[in-house]
Amino acid sequence: MFAYYVRLALLSLRRNPVLTGLTIGAIGIGIAVCMTTLTLYYIMSGNPMGRAGEKVYAVQIDSWGIDDPFDDDRPERIPWEFTWRDANGLLASDVPALQAAMFKAAAVLQVANEDIQPSMQLLRVTGRDFFELFDTPFLYGSAWSASAETAAEQVVVLSRRTNDEAFGGENSVGQRVRLDGRDFTVVGVLDEWDPAPKFYDVNNGPFDESEDAYIPFTLTVPLELDSAGNTNCWKDEELDSFEKFMNGECIWIQYWVQLDDSDQKARYQDFLDNYVRDQQALGRLERPIDNRLTNVPDWLDVRQVVANDSKVLVGLSFMFLMVCLFNAVGLVLAKFVGKAPQVGLRRALGASTSAIFTQHLVETGIVGLAGGLVGLGLTQLGLVGIRALNEHYEVLTQLDVVLVSGTIIIAVMSGVIAGLYPTWRICRVAPAGYLKTQ
Amino acid sequence: MEVRPIFSALLRNKTGAFLISLQIALTLAVVANALFIIVQRLEKMNRPTGMDVDNIIMVASSAFTQDYDARGSLRKDLDALRAIPGVIAATPINQIPLSGGGDSNGYRASTDVPSHDGISANNYMCDEQCVDTLGIELESGRSFDASEITFREPNSSFFSPGVLITRALGEELFGDEDPLGKSIYDGLGRSTTVIGVIRRMQGAWVSWEGLERVMVRPEVGLWPYTRYLIRTEPGQRDAIMPVVEKTLIDLNKERLVRRLTAHADVVKHSYSQDRTMAVILTTVSALLVTVTALGIVGLASFSVSQRTRQIGIRRAIGARRLDILRYFLVENWMITTGGVVLGCILTLAFNFWLVSEYELPRLELVYVLGGIAGLLMLGQLAVLMPARRAAAVAPAIATRNV
Amino acid sequence: MLDMRNLSKVYRTDLIETHALRDFSLSVDSGEFVAVTGPSGSGKTTFLNIAGLLEPATSGTYMLDGSDVSDLSDNQRSRIRNEKIGFIFQSFNLIPDLDLFDNVDVPLRYRGFKAAERRRRIMDNLERVGLAARANHLPSQLSGGQQQRVAIARALAGDPRFLLADEPTGNLDSLMARQVMELLESINAGGTTIIMVTHDPELARRAHRSIQVLDGQVSDFKTYEPRPAAVEPAPAASA
Repeated sequence: MFAYYVRLALLSLRRNPVLTGLTIGAIGIGIAVCMTTLTLYYIMSGNPMGRAGEKVYAVQIDSWGIDDPFDDDRPERIPWEFTWRDANGLLASDVPALQAAMFKAAAVLQVANEDIQPSMQLLRVTGRDFFELFDTPFLYGSAWSASAETAAEQVVVLSRRTNDEAFGGENSVGQRVRLDGRDFTVVGVLDEWDPAPKFYDVNNGPFDESEDAYIPFTLTVPLELDSAGNTNCWKDEELDSFEKFMNGECIWIQYWVQLDDSDQKARYQDFLDNYVRDQQALGRLERPIDNRLTNVPDWLDVRQVVANDSKVLVGLSFMFLMVCLFNAVGLVLAKFVGKAPQVGLRRALGASTSAIFTQHLVETGIVGLAGGLVGLGLTQLGLVGIRALNEHYEVLTQLDVVLVSGTIIIAVMSGVIAGLYPTWRICRVAPAGYLKTQ
Repeated sequence: MEVRPIFSALLRNKTGAFLISLQIALTLAVVANALFIIVQRLEKMNRPTGMDVDNIIMVASSAFTQDYDARGSLRKDLDALRAIPGVIAATPINQIPLSGGGDSNGYRASTDVPSHDGISANNYMCDEQCVDTLGIELESGRSFDASEITFREPNSSFFSPGVLITRALGEELFGDEDPLGKSIYDGLGRSTTVIGVIRRMQGAWVSWEGLERVMVRPEVGLWPYTRYLIRTEPGQRDAIMPVVEKTLIDLNKERLVRRLTAHADVVKHSYSQDRTMAVILTTVSALLVTVTALGIVGLASFSVSQRTRQIGIRRAIGARRLDILRYFLVENWMITTGGVVLGCILTLAFNFWLVSEYELPRLELVYVLGGIAGLLMLGQLAVLMPARRAAAVAPAIATRNV
Repeated sequence: MLDMRNLSKVYRTDLIETHALRDFSLSVDSGEFVAVTGPSGSGKTTFLNIAGLLEPATSGTYMLDGSDVSDLSDNQRSRIRNEKIGFIFQSFNLIPDLDLFDNVDVPLRYRGFKAAERRRRIMDNLERVGLAARANHLPSQLSGGQQQRVAIARALAGDPRFLLADEPTGNLDSLMARQVMELLESINAGGTTIIMVTHDPELARRAHRSIQVLDGQVSDFKTYEPRPAAVEPAPAASA
């Protein structure tokens, strides 16, 4: 019987090609606009760590000056990042399962092969726990050893991208590279890893690519490494040497820990409170104690990674979809009203209400499916357009399985919803109603 | 043509009319708010920069040897860049205006103001050709000369005794008073004197309220990483860009020459979020209006074909073509009016949501009125074709037994 | 076969109440050919709708084929229409998008027959009305008389107990009308009960019995002698 309904539906759709085209077009455009904005939103609001991110926490302490809150407009906010002094103070704790302080830097990379031009690379200066904390995939080698970290050895983990450029994708573990003229030994190469959003450093571009290379945090002072990211200072102080700067009240370091259970979390919270109290005794950290641990999903929320524009667009495009659906309801209704005599006849010949209902629902389902396919195509077009408009969105605009199947489901549902009222109306056609005239 | 019978006919066939009204209402809500956002973004993108953005080139030099002669190569780079035919001026600069990157400090008009209440302004540190390179205009005072430039070692702290500030920064610091010759204090209490007032110049962050608060200081940092701005004769920018790159590469192999970019592209990139929003909203609005118009055409055509016989009867009993045409126009006008009335409520509700959730400004009335007028016109245009078909129905239809 | 007792049908709107049938009683035996006549507005169509289970009566009892059908659900009525009643309309009511085969197929689909069974019935009945060769034509390619014959094939395809014909020749010229009438008579001769609504006294006279409806009631009975012609097979002409 289903095949029969499909055949009847196709016949009926062919009978009014303009009306059918308009209906499919309306649903398709509605879907496309909705899915394009939803794709942006979906990827922006993604949690690249999944469930594992629930145990990984961003650490915050209120290190700002006593006179003003960190953000005058949002006084409930405290600094997102750490001073060099506080980051090192926290590293002394042995409570977290894993912990890493980190910041963004830049250096020129040279390799022995002279055919490869020197190139500017972004660095993440961090601890060896970084890789396990964020579960980064390794293609070759591994993180540097604890002893290399303690001894501040010049070792580096390359990104796959950089390894492809500098070593043609070969296993480069043990090879030497120069960063800003200093020799480093490659100890590991990551596989592709570009979390979007780049949750661990949203201050410096939440949708930037991950860095090109990783070097030990303990090299910061010996090599006098400068941050290539945002730096915020509250205190008026003379910062005319590297040493003074490192001891100044400027924040530029992100700090992440893994806390496996609530007990560990409570103990770490105690540690933070004690640390801040100790510092207060030394005359620092004058603001009230306000230490925060925020896991990855909450952090993405708190940092408002999803741009307001994107949320506004999602709101707008759902209203757009509603217009398209009302439009489709009107068109389908018009079509079905025109079919009332035929329905009356079928009823007279013995079709039950449910047979009529199913027949027309199949018809609108097909319209929905066609609309969905049109919508899927137009969504691709929309995403290509957005990518062309805005290079920030490069990583943002890949349709994946979830989105494609979501599109089809939304489309068929739209078709069915748009068809439901007209179908219900046509099921109320009395069998005797239209037999006299035609 | 009386309105009442059309209205009561409408009420008897209300579903189709109601659906169109709903579409009109939602369309008004979306388009009025979208248009408002679009216009704001366009205004933001088209603010005067005060600079000769179209004729400026930026380029960066990153040294990668540890014993790099920053001062010497700076001198050589600048001499070579300024010697390129078609180059008006060139300067090293600590940050690129309108690039999204920069630093800001708090400044005070007197030391009586607590330092945390200082006015934030972007700092640009560049040399004596800065004013000519940026193409900014001094409304009073003078620019620096070469003898006033201080070359600073990395991590040094210094505050030049004489600086340029924008009028916008002057107004924030001194109100209506002329800032020329006045003293300004930084957070550490060090003072400087305003030697020139820039009519207008924009700083680092396009979405920052203090975008026009800028201080230009005669200082040049001796870092391994240097940015240059080069201003060319109008129209010669694109031809000079490769010359700039080659000149710098040939001068010195111990550094990377990077980020050779037209300043206009830097600015464009900074506004990409706003431009994306404006383009998406424009596209969505245009599509929406099209969909709504097609919906009106579709339903009106259908209603004409349903009412062919009725129209024939009207014609048979003496209605003129014009009367039939007018019937459909008036009917559409009623439906659209119903839609825009509901639409006004939706528009305001939607705007209220935008204002409260996303800190967008409140919608101006003119957009609602414009939207209403536009939709009424759109409805009439959309219904015109089916209405003309209706007017063409022959009176003889009435006697035919179909 | 069909027994209506004291049926009444009242249509109500906000303003008026119309008694389309009042105290209507009629009994039709199996194998009968009954003509129902009456002027416009007399209640003929209402009678037809109720007899064909297209709508329920307001009160009274209606026995069809030995069972009470006056109080059935919409679905049960659909099923009885499908299995026991064949409809023939003045305006044929073929579905213009479907070819003759598919048109005759419509009631069989709702019956739930297997494909082979449907094919057999469709072709048999198209054969019977002389249009088997045109199974793949669309209704618009046929003359009015041929269309009505397809409609008759459709009505017969499900082996109904009786046929309800509503002015079956009303849209046909006299030659085609005669052919259709002869076809109906041969069907009746084969044992199928036929109730035919008409305003044409000439046609009514060809039935075994004619009843006249006036103001929603049976006002007159006429019984005719069965004519010998009825036993001859109808000329199944294919035009």
